[in-house]
Amino acid sequence: MIYQLIEILDKKVHFDRAQAHCDIPCGIYDPSTAQIAALTVVRMMDLMIELEAKGEKNLSYQNSMARYIAVKEEHAEKAKHEIRVIWGDYIKTQHIEKHSEVMELVHKIMQLGSKSRQTCDRETGIQFVESINQFAEIFWDTKGISVKRAKCPYSPALEMVYPNL
Amino acid sequence: MLALIKVTGNSMLPVYNEGDFVVITKIPLFLHCLQKGDVIVFTRNPYGILIKQIEQIISPDEIYVTGTHGDSLDSHRIGPINKGSIIGRVILHIPKFK
Repeated sequence: MIYQLIEILDKKVHFDRAQAHCDIPCGIYDPSTAQIAALTVVRMMDLMIELEAKGEKNLSYQNSMARYIAVKEEHAEKAKHEIRVIWGDYIKTQHIEKHSEVMELVHKIMQLGSKSRQTCDRETGIQFVESINQFAEIFWDTKGISVKRAKCPYSPALEMVYPNL
Repeated sequence: MLALIKVTGNSMLPVYNEGDFVVITKIPLFLHCLQKGDVIVFTRNPYGILIKQIEQIISPDEIYVTGTHGDSLDSHRIGPINKGSIIGRVILHIPKFK
């Protein structure tokens, strides 16, 4: 509510912008943001399926469904963006030489991210998460850091790749 | 002494998202006692107004800042920030999504 009011005000007076600037590579990269964003996509799909199953197509239903879809859209795109940044700014020739599958994998992630936006197919969402997990395994290997797989301790409780730090 | 600022960019994820608003204080007393972990808004040429977190206070006049997200433009690249360039300290976060 407060945010919406300020947003309306901002359109009138245009407050100053502060950039959380990211254009220059600082050497800090981590695939966890993409992993969590992909998990969120599956979570939103689950919430959409649960809501649909209730069978109540009232105003509340439309409001909730619209919010789930919006968050699914946002996080699918966020996951793609984060992978693109690591791919474009971090992954070097020597990494590709060692992990030749990474090019195909990144392309697959992009396609699965788009399909996750276009549909509410849970299996696609799970593949999206798993592909980003595989990317995380490659990423941490380039750092010489081993990984483990464990179910995330929250819904949708899918298996995630975590670095052994 | 207070100002509303809109956040753009992603270097302060996951706390500060693109589109969030923050309220900053410009009261000198608040700026005098900055601490590690405080989030500040400051100017830096040629980038303009930036928002970052204080990583280290290295002298009475200079501080190191960092983003909370990978690929952040911060003191590891642009060096220390002069305290004179600080516009304000964030005292309230108004997120876009809850």
